[in-house]
Amino acid sequence: MDDALSTPTRPLSRRGIERLDLMLLCAEALDLNGGEAMVWLSEEMGFTTLFPNRVELWKRRCCNPLRRSTRRDALPEPEADALIRILIALADRLYPMLRSLLSTAEPPAITEQRWALFRSRLAELLRERFNLRRGGVQRLLDPEQGPALSRELIQCMAFSAGPGGFDRLKASLMDAS
Amino acid sequence: MKLTSRYEQTSCRLVLEGLPDLSAGHDGQTLGILTGFTLALAGRTELEGKREHLLALMAVVLPYARHLLSGLPRAFGAADEPVAISPGDGGSHTLELRSSQPGTPPLSLQLDDAELADLVRCLDQLRLDPRLALGLAVSPTQPLRRRELRHRQPLAQRLAAPLAGAGTLAVVAALLALLPPTPRPGSSVAPATAVTRAR
Repeated sequence: MDDALSTPTRPLSRRGIERLDLMLLCAEALDLNGGEAMVWLSEEMGFTTLFPNRVELWKRRCCNPLRRSTRRDALPEPEADALIRILIALADRLYPMLRSLLSTAEPPAITEQRWALFRSRLAELLRERFNLRRGGVQRLLDPEQGPALSRELIQCMAFSAGPGGFDRLKASLMDAS
Repeated sequence: MKLTSRYEQTSCRLVLEGLPDLSAGHDGQTLGILTGFTLALAGRTELEGKREHLLALMAVVLPYARHLLSGLPRAFGAADEPVAISPGDGGSHTLELRSSQPGTPPLSLQLDDAELADLVRCLDQLRLDPRLALGLAVSPTQPLRRRELRHRQPLAQRLAAPLAGAGTLAVVAALLALLPPTPRPGSSVAPATAVTRAR
């Protein structure tokens, strides 16, 4: 059955691009090989014409205004779609980890350790690559607001994981900002 | 020629049983007529249903997950529908299943995020299975409009900008009112004309 999104063609909202890049960053925080997996998946899924190498892939992610090095170019729809497909494939690979973070059946102490490890890795990546003067980045790093915001990102990845999540996630990333 | 399609994801197992619809030209491996399904969720009692229950399940669970993605948890499923889902306490999700048998109370299941994600993935697998020809269409997924997203922001935050603007305008108007009035144009022109005539 076709999973194509039947909406008018328009670019992702600015908030959509931010969320997409942040979820890709979460994938890197969950898996130390996440960056390599992204490049490998891009090749496996036939996106080399859009992203011939890892630099081109990185450049598209830099359309996120929260980044330290940000580009003013709009993210064309074919490239946005490709990044979304790479993300949901990553989320599919990482689904057991996403699930273990979200499950209430796991022992609370273990769950808290997993969250603490994920948040610390995410914070490292944010400090390394993102503009720390931006409010969105500060909220993610804030000890009060950060945990809920990072949980939302993990929840989004879990509900988008796999091919069936494409239209659901894309529609959400195209919400009016 | 009974056919079975099985979709599993960790805590969720969904099994469809049916037959090919030979009158529609289906081959022997295409499930075109659904005779029933079973759904096992989170180790609870296995549920059974027919096509209308499966359609109802997809019609509420998938849009519910879609709204969660946008940070807008809301209930789906009207009071007269066999399935409903709504946000529960502490971030859980309440799935309510209403029997068509009179006098049977509804069954309410509390799912956490992980269990709901498992159910969503099973329904996605079903939706995308090319071996099924059951016409289980779901409404196309749409981006949410600004008015639907308005309620995601607390009222105080939404009103902050317009109130700040109105307040600034009031302060500026008050300051302008305190300035001394500027002289009228007539009183400054008359002395210059008198000097010119005297020359």
